[in-house]
Amino acid sequence: MKMDLISATDLGLDEIQEFLTLAAKMDEMPAVEKVDLLKGRVLMVMFYEPSTRTRLSFEAAMVRLGGAVIGFSDTASTSVSKGETLRDTVLTGERYADVIVIRHPQEGAARLAAGAASIPVINAGDGANQHPTQTLLDLHTIRKNFGRTSGLKIALAGDLKYGRTVHSLFQALLKFQGNEFLLISPPTLRLPDYLLAEARAKNVKVEESTDLQTAIHTCDIVYMTRIQRERFADVLEYEKVKDAFVIDAAMLADAPKKLKILHPLPRVNEISPDVDGTTYAGYFPQVYNGMIMRQAILLKLLGVKI
Amino acid sequence: MSEQTKVEYIPKIERGIVVDHIPVGYGVKVLKIIRSYPGMKDVVTTIGLNYLSTKLGRKDMLKLVTDELPQEILDHMSLVSPGISIKRIRDYQVDKKFVITTPTEITGQVLCRNPNCITNHERHMTTCFKATRRDPGKYRCMFCERVFFLGELELISR
Repeated sequence: MKMDLISATDLGLDEIQEFLTLAAKMDEMPAVEKVDLLKGRVLMVMFYEPSTRTRLSFEAAMVRLGGAVIGFSDTASTSVSKGETLRDTVLTGERYADVIVIRHPQEGAARLAAGAASIPVINAGDGANQHPTQTLLDLHTIRKNFGRTSGLKIALAGDLKYGRTVHSLFQALLKFQGNEFLLISPPTLRLPDYLLAEARAKNVKVEESTDLQTAIHTCDIVYMTRIQRERFADVLEYEKVKDAFVIDAAMLADAPKKLKILHPLPRVNEISPDVDGTTYAGYFPQVYNGMIMRQAILLKLLGVKI
Repeated sequence: MSEQTKVEYIPKIERGIVVDHIPVGYGVKVLKIIRSYPGMKDVVTTIGLNYLSTKLGRKDMLKLVTDELPQEILDHMSLVSPGISIKRIRDYQVDKKFVITTPTEITGQVLCRNPNCITNHERHMTTCFKATRRDPGKYRCMFCERVFFLGELELISR
């Protein structure tokens, strides 16, 4: 039976561990040994909305494994603009490719595509719903830095209300034993109650605060997110909170050595560029880790063993 | 309400079906569902609204002069309001009684409330909702993954 990757909520602990083990292997493997792993395979990139990082990451992952990439990242020049259904576009695309990666502005689009296609489908973001490869690459980054994804103290900072990235990461980290959370956000952008309830049900320690400096000194990871202007009906409200949580090099003066600052990117002002050169900056290596994790995902879904 | 007034307000039927314990405000909706099925429009029906109920405080009720309600209609009614009781009446007495329970899966019968759900944009889509394990009475859209109370979901018009 074919395997898809649609939602982080579909993944059990065992499956997550398998992806992490495979990504660790891919990380260690010399580039020269990877170049033929997906030779002759074709990835269909169906991007119904703009994305730089995710699309390039998938394309780079495929190309570096010897595979080829076809597809579109602008629907204006496709049959979609003529009114073709998503299902028909998928049924057409699967005749050309071995695996599909889809990003779509509407929630549930990837699930629909997976139901229609006979080849594996990977969700690269469906509206405000899921972005499971981001969750897996975040976990891979955490494991690479700390050797584990359990027993860590993690601060999630910024927009915790609307950010699908933090929601999925929070849920995934709840699957591992002994993690604690410090949630740093403006009161208007708190983590939704249903997620807090999930943590309570598992007796996981979760604190809410607005003190980023304390997070820097007490946590292993500070995961920053962007506060998105488009989420605010009132521009004044946005102006009030947009720069509420900014990390700069001065704040990191006495930070513990183990600390890593992560960010799904793109950033705006929340991490000052003067942090980039410090040992704490984990967000650009995180981009590389994303490509490695996507290689692992492509291999697993295409049934290629290493 | 005394036994006397009960008789005054709700005439007994000799033979038929009583749809009882309908949450107040849902009586008309349930009647509409029943009448949307072939042959049900002509059934002699009494509708009672805002009756006193020991179980619900207030309730709506229907009495239908018909032999049976097909399973299809019962399933449909359960989407609007689970917990409704169905009483089969023979010779003015309750011959059989059961409560309609919530379905675990609803396919193609209700619309997703999320305006950005793909099921509200793609043509020829069949919606699918599954009962959540954690929150009784709530259903998750199998596409956009949003969770709703059953009563929030709009029925697909037949």
